[in-house]
Amino acid sequence: MNVAIAQSDVVTAYGWGLDALWDGLLSNETAIRATDRFAERGFLSNQAAIIPDLEVQGGESRSMAMLRRLLLPLVAKIDPSTPLILATTVGEIEYVEAAILTDRPELAAEARPQVLLRRIKQMLGLRGPATVVSSACASSAIAISRAASVIRHGDARRVLVIACDSVSEFVYSGFSTLLSLCDGPARPFDAQRGGLTLGEGAAWALLAADESPREGVFSILGWGSTTDAVHMTAPDRDARGLSRAIAKACAMAGKTVDEISFIAAHGTATLYSDAMELVALRGATQGPKPIFSVKGGIGHTLASAGLVQILVAARAMSVGIVPPTVGLQVPDPSAVDWAHKTSVRIGRAPLALSISSGFGGVNTAVLLGGGDQS
Amino acid sequence: MIRAIAWFCADHHGVFTPAGESWQRPSPALSTSASAVKLIGRPVNYFSRMTTEARFCLCAASMALKASRWPESRGAEIGVASGGCDGCLAADQEYFRDYVASGRTLGRGNLFIYTLPTSVIGEVAIVLSLTGPCLFIHDEVRPLPSLARHAQRIVADGEAAGMLALWSDPRAAVCMAVDAGAGEDKIFELLSKSEATPLQLASGFQLMVQRA
Repeated sequence: MNVAIAQSDVVTAYGWGLDALWDGLLSNETAIRATDRFAERGFLSNQAAIIPDLEVQGGESRSMAMLRRLLLPLVAKIDPSTPLILATTVGEIEYVEAAILTDRPELAAEARPQVLLRRIKQMLGLRGPATVVSSACASSAIAISRAASVIRHGDARRVLVIACDSVSEFVYSGFSTLLSLCDGPARPFDAQRGGLTLGEGAAWALLAADESPREGVFSILGWGSTTDAVHMTAPDRDARGLSRAIAKACAMAGKTVDEISFIAAHGTATLYSDAMELVALRGATQGPKPIFSVKGGIGHTLASAGLVQILVAARAMSVGIVPPTVGLQVPDPSAVDWAHKTSVRIGRAPLALSISSGFGGVNTAVLLGGGDQS
Repeated sequence: MIRAIAWFCADHHGVFTPAGESWQRPSPALSTSASAVKLIGRPVNYFSRMTTEARFCLCAASMALKASRWPESRGAEIGVASGGCDGCLAADQEYFRDYVASGRTLGRGNLFIYTLPTSVIGEVAIVLSLTGPCLFIHDEVRPLPSLARHAQRIVADGEAAGMLALWSDPRAAVCMAVDAGAGEDKIFELLSKSEATPLQLASGFQLMVQRA
């Protein structure tokens, strides 16, 4: 059973829609800016990739504000029985902030991911099964794999996957505490990279059983998830977990890594995570393949990151161009001939790999196929 | 099928298996790593830094893994899926309350790393060397049987040879060892009707073992 990405949409700091994201990446200009949102807090950085024209209505979270506009085209149009999978790291965490800052403890329960799930169901009029999936920064990549599994097993013909996370004081303070934030815009795979930049974003994809693969329709061919089981926050420097995830995804699809045209990397711009990815990729392939990270342009969108890069990878396959890694100036020695400052023309691209990693040592690889070539 | 179920709560802990190897005992106070060595089989770094829920989960997962009788060589292919109505809400509040009390400039990293729904099972995976998929998955309706079904599906997809499915809150942890083996799954039928909290479920299994 072929599982196709039938419809999708995305919002990032570049703006609304995949065209805005794609054009932003190709412009090589970052959407990361200095923000005064946490100016009084004295964090290590003031950089963030914020959605500039997000209208947050009274009492709602930034995640809900993103989804209210992003999901509008689906309202009253999507089949109400469509199963829903929501990917989020921490739900609407602003409610925990408000509960503590305003001494209204009853608000905290609103932050639970299943509350956001219910709000989305209500907004879209969905009455089918609904599930929250969370696996740190690999959340939406795993959500895509679970949705594809539901379709492959014949439990549903269509599954809606939604991912969202916002830039909050909660998360910003945590990453500042862990010394993970870059003092300027993130520079993935750069020799002088100094950490990640947080970004906000949301995306959705309607996956559908597709019996007749065709040009212009992209498919989820295989996936694999693993855990390093080494450290709660640091990646395994030998990249054993990510290497196994890539091997699993290829094995499920009956493909080899060398058949892959390019790779949508996680590319957070932290020292060890970028290095770990390159160890995995160099060990898996015969030679360099073009890789890109979107995080120098739109920051690290946490739970949304995996789905966002899958959608960018699908666009790259459709136009035969791998976008530049925004922010890259001088590639790390291990990234030379892999990461590129400018876009790379690749022509026909039948297979692309998207990889995600996160806290807890989680890794997920998703293999994308292009239309009739899959 | 579900090979084994283990539970741990403040009052009692135990194991229930379809093969009949079931037992239950009063729980030790998990104040130090030494108190858990008998259950986990080894000393655990940072045990005293873990939340109560993480300690309960670690003990339940360790007991379920042992009772599953999966070969040790399978360790690399075992994953962990967790669920629970409150996710990491208690840990989220603890981190942010501490950060606010400290003047909203610097939080505590050791609290922040527990602010994800997968934080607890990340610890479990490290201690038990489980390198399969690690995810929090929570269905809106009947989340417990759904968790077991998702775990079975992950095995069926070839992503893992077996999965530990952990259903927990700060008062109790229940862990199911799930694999692709065929069998009459009476436990699954039992769970499919369940809307129980982890503590209610643990007490239910304790009664079942006592009656057996």
